Amino acid sequence: MTARRSKEGHIAFLLTVGLLAWLVPGAGHLAIKENKHAAIIFVTIVLTFATGLYLGSIAVIDPVGAKPWYVAQIMNSPMVAGLGHLTRTSGYRVYGRPNEIGQIYTSIAGLLNLLCVVNAVYWAHLRRTEAVGD
Amino acid sequence: MSSIAAFIMASFTRPENISVNPQSMLWLLPLVAAIAIVYKTTKLPKIKAAHFVKEVTILFGSIVVFMIVAALVLYVVAWLITE
Repeated sequence: MTARRSKEGHIAFLLTVGLLAWLVPGAGHLAIKENKHAAIIFVTIVLTFATGLYLGSIAVIDPVGAKPWYVAQIMNSPMVAGLGHLTRTSGYRVYGRPNEIGQIYTSIAGLLNLLCVVNAVYWAHLRRTEAVGD
Repeated sequence: MSSIAAFIMASFTRPENISVNPQSMLWLLPLVAAIAIVYKTTKLPKIKAAHFVKEVTILFGSIVVFMIVAALVLYVVAWLITE
């Protein structure tokens, strides 16, 4: 009974770490007390995403016309959905090279955050299993 | 809303003017730097400044060199096909 509760708690902890890492880049690493990792991840991913938005404008987040790119972009944070809604309702448009470079920057930032989410969950799992092993 | 905040927000609603020329390829460099930094952050269990910078620089250089080699190979293949 206690072992089952412990396992459920472990899974809940891993889900919390994953969710935090998705909500704010680096927050997952902060939750497992990897402060340096968290700071580097936050600054790098936010800067990459902001650069993409600056180059191509918020119109690069297009949930209707560029769905595959949007899937990668939303890995940055669920807050990207708000920007997507704003783009859809306000009629912002971008074409050509600024669109390409903006989409590439924002999508790569999202995929990098996905890597960080997986990494934070993996490290959280390792820490817990090592602690139980001790 | 202050005028500074409005100016910052407005700069994200108008795209920058980026021409289609060879210089625009340089936009890949900040992206490669971001990839190298985040990848090495996830790989190194302990971060020491000097070691981290060295690892990131090596990965950054490796990616850039590989991309240059790939570009040269593609250029030669295109030249062989079209000539």
